[in-house]
Amino acid sequence: MIEQLPEGKSIGWMQAPPQWIFTHTVRFVGVVRIVIQDGEGFILIRKGVPLAYYFKHGRIELKGHSALDYFNSHPTIEFNLCKYTPEEFAQALKICHIDEQVAEAVPEEPRPGPAERILSPSPASTPAATPPAPAREPAPVVMQLAVKRPVPGPAAIPTEPVMQDEEPPVVPQVPQVSPEVMLDADDIKIIGQIKKLNGIVAISVFSDDRNIILMGDVEIEPLLKIAREMLATTAKITPRLDWGTFVHMTLQIPEGNVIIAPYRDYHLCLLTTRTINIGHIRRILRDLQQNGGPQ
Amino acid sequence: MLKEILNKFLIIKDVQAAVVIEENGEVIESIKSGIVIDKNLGDVISTVMLDSKDTAVHFGNATLSMVFLEYSENFLILGPITEEFFLVIIAKNTANIGQITYEMKKNQDAIVSYL
Repeated sequence: MIEQLPEGKSIGWMQAPPQWIFTHTVRFVGVVRIVIQDGEGFILIRKGVPLAYYFKHGRIELKGHSALDYFNSHPTIEFNLCKYTPEEFAQALKICHIDEQVAEAVPEEPRPGPAERILSPSPASTPAATPPAPAREPAPVVMQLAVKRPVPGPAAIPTEPVMQDEEPPVVPQVPQVSPEVMLDADDIKIIGQIKKLNGIVAISVFSDDRNIILMGDVEIEPLLKIAREMLATTAKITPRLDWGTFVHMTLQIPEGNVIIAPYRDYHLCLLTTRTINIGHIRRILRDLQQNGGPQ
Repeated sequence: MLKEILNKFLIIKDVQAAVVIEENGEVIESIKSGIVIDKNLGDVISTVMLDSKDTAVHFGNATLSMVFLEYSENFLILGPITEEFFLVIIAKNTANIGQITYEMKKNQDAIVSYL
């Protein structure tokens, strides 16, 4: 089914809690392509309303509620937001066997949501047949991805192997996105644009207590640890300097740069290669802070 | 003399200060224009220096190459000269950062020879 869906226009890959998808797609029409370990799936969304959930791992398919439960069993998932044109969306509805009129009439609730009704669970997704391996995994996705995909550039970001030996949680807790976390499609587009620049390894928007978005194949926790330490440094010195508002702090090591900067009510963290043009980054950060995005 | 080398930074447009500082916060030599290097600024530099060294350890004990801290009016560039000594440049944000970092690299050995 995934292969049949229209490609759409990719806004960018990111990592976030599954709930983030529902709270940040109110103006989005398209498909959210999800990758978890070796499996892949999608959520078809029209303006914040999920219309279909699907996940496939090997020969096992999860549809509707079962697929959603599987997504929700991960603290964070990696996904790609792909925007659809009306024609592409109509085609996707057809592929998912969703009646357009039914899709129009569905209530705006991510859960239990229309997806459950439209894509009723197949025999393969009944609890007895739910695959044990993908449904309960021993470590958070971020850690596993890091094993599969070494960080390009600043590879020295240490791993925290402690998670590898932990018992798998019986009922994994899904972090809730706090109501004040508000990034819209424009934010995501801007962040995606920055990620595409030469030399940007990863970009994250984070708050004081959590990662909001990550684009790039890196382990988020070690990166955020560094970013938060840098923030703590700026918090100590900024009140003592009469130099205007804080623009950014860049820490350069032989492997690359870590840059932190304020971004709306949050903070931005960029991991770059050493060869990146710092002048270019400065301009982007200034544009972001003054005009809301790269010009 | 160390001051003569530091003066090479001060003649760059909009550079306000060049400071050689020890890890413990003691200013070894400084040259400035239109800025006061008081205890407060010394403490700020020292905080950036020590915190950044600690943070760099999270990159698998990486050595710190440079720290760049920018505000809307001024910026500060801090680069290690030796294990315990740092060169700090303070400038208005209109200064040419490429020229400053080039001079920092170019004059590093000369500064070390005076320490």
